[in-house]
Amino acid sequence: MKFKAGMRVEGLEILEGRFMAAVERVGGSGMKQNNSGGWQLYLTRDHVMFLHNLLGGGGDGVQCVAQFSVSLLFHDYHISSRNADRIAFSVEPSLLHRALRSSLSNLIHSSSSPFLQMKLVKKLPAGSSRPAPFLSFETKGQRSAVIQDVPISRPLSAADVSDLHSALLSAQELPETLVQVPDLQQLQGLVDRLRHVGDVLSVSITRYGDLHLKLSSSSLVTLGFEFRGLRILGVQASPLPNEASLSPQARMELAIQRGEAMSVQVSMKHLLKSIQCHLAKPDCTFFGIAPQGACLMVIFQFFIPGTRQTDKSISLHCRIPVLDSGSN
Amino acid sequence: MSSSAMETEAPDLVCHLDNVPGMVDALSSVRWKRNQDALVELSEHGMVLIVEETGCLQAKVYLKRELFILYEYNAEGRPRFGLGLGLFIDCLNTFCVQGIASVVEIRYPGPDMQLLLKSVDSPDAFVYADIRTRIPDTISWDYNFEPAGTVPTRFQSAVLKEAIDDLEWPGSSIQILLNPDPPSVTFRGEGHGDLQIDLSYRTSTDLLMAFQCDHRVSHRYKYKFLSATTSNIPSSVLKDNRGSKMTIGRDGMLKIQHLVSVAKPSVHHPQNNFGAQNQTSRIAYIEFYVKPEESDGPIDNA
Repeated sequence: MKFKAGMRVEGLEILEGRFMAAVERVGGSGMKQNNSGGWQLYLTRDHVMFLHNLLGGGGDGVQCVAQFSVSLLFHDYHISSRNADRIAFSVEPSLLHRALRSSLSNLIHSSSSPFLQMKLVKKLPAGSSRPAPFLSFETKGQRSAVIQDVPISRPLSAADVSDLHSALLSAQELPETLVQVPDLQQLQGLVDRLRHVGDVLSVSITRYGDLHLKLSSSSLVTLGFEFRGLRILGVQASPLPNEASLSPQARMELAIQRGEAMSVQVSMKHLLKSIQCHLAKPDCTFFGIAPQGACLMVIFQFFIPGTRQTDKSISLHCRIPVLDSGSN
Repeated sequence: MSSSAMETEAPDLVCHLDNVPGMVDALSSVRWKRNQDALVELSEHGMVLIVEETGCLQAKVYLKRELFILYEYNAEGRPRFGLGLGLFIDCLNTFCVQGIASVVEIRYPGPDMQLLLKSVDSPDAFVYADIRTRIPDTISWDYNFEPAGTVPTRFQSAVLKEAIDDLEWPGSSIQILLNPDPPSVTFRGEGHGDLQIDLSYRTSTDLLMAFQCDHRVSHRYKYKFLSATTSNIPSSVLKDNRGSKMTIGRDGMLKIQHLVSVAKPSVHHPQNNFGAQNQTSRIAYIEFYVKPEESDGPIDNA
């Protein structure tokens, strides 16, 4: 099992400046016992992925997948393993973030040919007699060279890697209808305030671009909000002509009856965690409910800088587990 | 909710508010614990919200009709209902998110006697809250404050708050002493230790904005009730510096009043029925009444 790669400064900036902050917020600690839960870094020949909660069922937490094409992050990439050149291990995001941050600060004033290499190594940790695996970062700046070793878990077994891979494939089933949330920070503000009143939210999405979030855990108050006329991707329908005069709840019930909306219940805490992905500065954010109400998906889209074209080399999405299948 | 039920009869109250954060500030200043029941009384003059700590402390928030850009009152008598203060504040807070609602409609009662809140004027993002109300608990109405001849002492709000905050250390029982000669207010705490704070009128006019007293007045109050009067006053009150008034009435009843601005900071709203020019009148009055400790009547500290 070997992994060694020369990192591009642009790639380092994308990871350090945008994604690591989101990764840290979404999923606390990555190093958990027996490699389940937490964050895994999954390396293949073509992609580098940060995976949260995909292993071990992951049923009770937010699943998050951040995927980068190798060419976006690296100029030079060598990977080999007996498991079809796939390597996965758990890593603590805050440690990784710290290593990336200091690598970047070491390189920032350096010459025209910055050097940053990332590789898997086995080393003898201080005070231990058994070698342990590390992800090692070596930077050569103008005045200094720094090597940082980030402790990682033992690489996942071939069986675990294939579990991870199949979990990843099943996590990519897209909702029929996606609605675009225009202002994620505003949504965060709203959900943040709802948090004080209750902890379960019912989320409904129609095929004509309505997103309705309502507290469903308090008997003393009905509190919710509705965004209307959002941009839609996927299956669309047109609203009934007279429904504008109804209350948001009545409108949503009608849409569900007509099969033009889906509704699921999710935990406030999970939704807030997923919204933390705005730290990765996505250009668009979409909400959708997976087929059969399997989960609430939040999909973030990134543009190629300076254009409005989707950057296919980055993808980020969260799957929020459903507490109850709701009315669908 | 069925809209037909509401059409049959006009609700007791429909009002529109364009400064929700101001109202949140006003209500938060009387929230001294997490779960607090409040009683709301509606009238043609406005809304009064009352909270109470059994028999020792009462606070009222007066929201005059002038605070609202629309105030349609249709009830006979004065409808009253109880609700959770924290819940009401948390719901209102949801309307404070940037870009969500410039105007909030408050309506009572809903089809099931709820208090209904909803955003107005924001076609793409709509926020609503239906708060369950209760038949009000009986409030002990023996807080009739009778002035005892003394003129209110006006403090800088921040000074009053700081003094009361500082008294936390001795805690337990706090003596408030108004002295005509030299004109001063003294707070004295005796508990875990002794702490005395003298605010003198002559030497530091910036601490006491107004003071008038013709005879010594001295009473003791429980610290925890005294601290409730200033612990949650919003920062806008400290900044606006309208001053906070303290009066000791008959039988040592202490009254503390704060003024919270519910004026909209920016330009006036076209729907404004009351003239946005008159922003200065858009003040919510917050009043606290604290009963003295019953021990041994006025204390003499000659």
